[in-house]
Amino acid sequence: MDPYILTYAWLNGILVGAMLGGIALGLSLIFGVLRIVNFAHGSFLMLALYTAFWLQKLGGIDPYLSVPIAAPLMFALGYCVQCIVIGPLIRRERALVVEPISALLLTAGVCILIDNLALMAFGPNVRSTPSALRVGSFMLGPFPVNSFRVIAAAAALVLATGVWLWLAHTDMGRAIRATAQNRDAAAMSGIDVPLVYNVTFGLGCALVGVMGCLIAPFIPITPQVGLTFGIKSFIVVVLGGIGSIAGSLVGGIVIGLFESLAAQFVATPTASIFSLGLFILILLMRPQGLMGAAK
Amino acid sequence: MTPDSKRRATLRTIVAAGSMLLVVSGNAGAQAIVKIGCVLPLSGGSAALGNQTRVGVMAAVEQINAAGGIKAMGGAKLQALFGDSQSKADVGVSETERLIQRENVAVLCGAFNSAVTFPATELAERNKTPWVVVGAVKDEITERGFRYVFRINNKATYDAREQLDAMALLAKETGKSVQRLALFYESGDWGRSHAANIRKLAAERKIGIILDEPAPPNQVDFTSQLLKIRSAKPDALILALYTPDHLLFTRQLAEQRLDLTFGVHSAGGGAEDPSFYAAIDASMTAYYFVQEDWQVDILDTNQDPLLLDADRRARALLGYGMSASVALGLAATYVIGDALERAGSAERDKLRDAIAATDLSSGPALFTGYQRIKFDSAGQNTFAHGVVSENLGGKRRAIWPSENRAADTRPVWPVPAWARR
Repeated sequence: MDPYILTYAWLNGILVGAMLGGIALGLSLIFGVLRIVNFAHGSFLMLALYTAFWLQKLGGIDPYLSVPIAAPLMFALGYCVQCIVIGPLIRRERALVVEPISALLLTAGVCILIDNLALMAFGPNVRSTPSALRVGSFMLGPFPVNSFRVIAAAAALVLATGVWLWLAHTDMGRAIRATAQNRDAAAMSGIDVPLVYNVTFGLGCALVGVMGCLIAPFIPITPQVGLTFGIKSFIVVVLGGIGSIAGSLVGGIVIGLFESLAAQFVATPTASIFSLGLFILILLMRPQGLMGAAK
Repeated sequence: MTPDSKRRATLRTIVAAGSMLLVVSGNAGAQAIVKIGCVLPLSGGSAALGNQTRVGVMAAVEQINAAGGIKAMGGAKLQALFGDSQSKADVGVSETERLIQRENVAVLCGAFNSAVTFPATELAERNKTPWVVVGAVKDEITERGFRYVFRINNKATYDAREQLDAMALLAKETGKSVQRLALFYESGDWGRSHAANIRKLAAERKIGIILDEPAPPNQVDFTSQLLKIRSAKPDALILALYTPDHLLFTRQLAEQRLDLTFGVHSAGGGAEDPSFYAAIDASMTAYYFVQEDWQVDILDTNQDPLLLDADRRARALLGYGMSASVALGLAATYVIGDALERAGSAERDKLRDAIAATDLSSGPALFTGYQRIKFDSAGQNTFAHGVVSENLGGKRRAIWPSENRAADTRPVWPVPAWARR
């Protein structure tokens, strides 16, 4: 194997992996705190991509500049979905009436609903949102590197650090961590658990909102685009460790690197199968994921 | 006759008259509308192309109805009923079942994706319902000895042959030929079947295949595959990808400034989809070669009012004009309309025989760019052919066959390197 190609594959694997990790951050947070597999995670990403698209089409706003608009919008949407759709189920679950699987099914329903509403509203045509940033790629030594991907990967690192600091040093962050550890004990300590849930879900969606705007300049936008990212995010989160912020990035980079390198030796569909094999293998050895704490 | 028997006789007369009236009106109802079922991917990965076909079918139905309907059936009107396959084989089959059993359609068309068309046509065959294939190219669709399945458009073998024929024509004109080919294709029925045909034909023509790579659908990154192509150093790349993947791949290829001496040759798919061109910077698709069942610059030479009407409808409904999928939807419906005229009946068996006897050499069914539509014993239109275009100066121009090439079209071969564009 040509060392140039192999080094390039490494570089690319890290960039794509970090991007996947950034997209999975919100899912990891929701997963860790609410113990809910948010099946609609990819759909929220799709909505963020369309938000960037429409803001550009109607208002001429660059996808990078649409972050401050899309993030609060997505926060509000996530907050409402948790409050109106999932909240009632959790309240019943506290009374030990509902199995956690129903939350998964509920979010799957939200996913189908959002995807089909998007299809009705936006049509099936593939769209794109080019950024006014004209430097599409630059040379890193001998390697042409896509600057949009570098921005997305760097943003994923910044977001992960930001969320980690916020969880560690703010009241709401502490409340979220306490709720993640033991929701009943947190409630007895005076923490408003339903509010924590709403904020966490909103924050998870806001994170995916930010990443959506940042990947919009290079990802084709269709109503189905969320599904691929949703499944990848799920793998990344479980691999990295449920609820672990750093784990999300590590999981993403492991998958990104593995797929990028394996694809140089075998056909891409085979590489994807191998990456799922790696996923199973790691979970067999570390059921809590790479960065998750053993319980 | 007693008053009682008289009353019974009157009652019998009324019942008989009533039943006759019902029979007559029933027949009149059956004649008034002919239902055409069309299974298409209206959502899912190929939804854009499915919706284009839908526009073509609707345009033809409305044109035929506006022109007085099916005259041999007393002016019967056509009605198109659509089933959404979501690009999934199982959904396509259940939609076919619904259209045959519940909607009782006279004839079916669709289903764009080969993977859907293959099992769905089997169901149509079992139910003795004629099916006019639209878009699907997998060879075996018309190679199973079926009686009710007909295909107007190219089969995969033709697509592959035409791509290599176009390369051979350009080589003949310039003296520069492709020696090393790379294949990159979606891993479904269409892509695999296309690649298999290219492999077979390339071997016959002594062209080396130096990279042969399937791609899972809906990728988020193609860098790894582009790296493989870069390290294989092919002369030309043959692509068979659906629109979203095609868009991502094209962008990344342009960003990486990957030079291919004889360019990118796409077999329809994303590169024939107008929404693809709307979503991408024109510089990224410069010198793209696209093989498709549609002469993309036909409106420059053909100003038929029905073609212009279909183009106008497409613009109103889709935001862009005619495309291969619109043209094929239109063609299929006109073939069905013609068969209904000759059969004088919407009865499935009669209609099947009429479709089998189709021989069209003029009219809107040929808007795709064909010279004739006539099916062989397997149901394949042997006169189908695609047109290969090259994107020159921001405009897609037909370059193959040479008869379809405009006088002012000068193909660029080899294509300039990125640094010199």
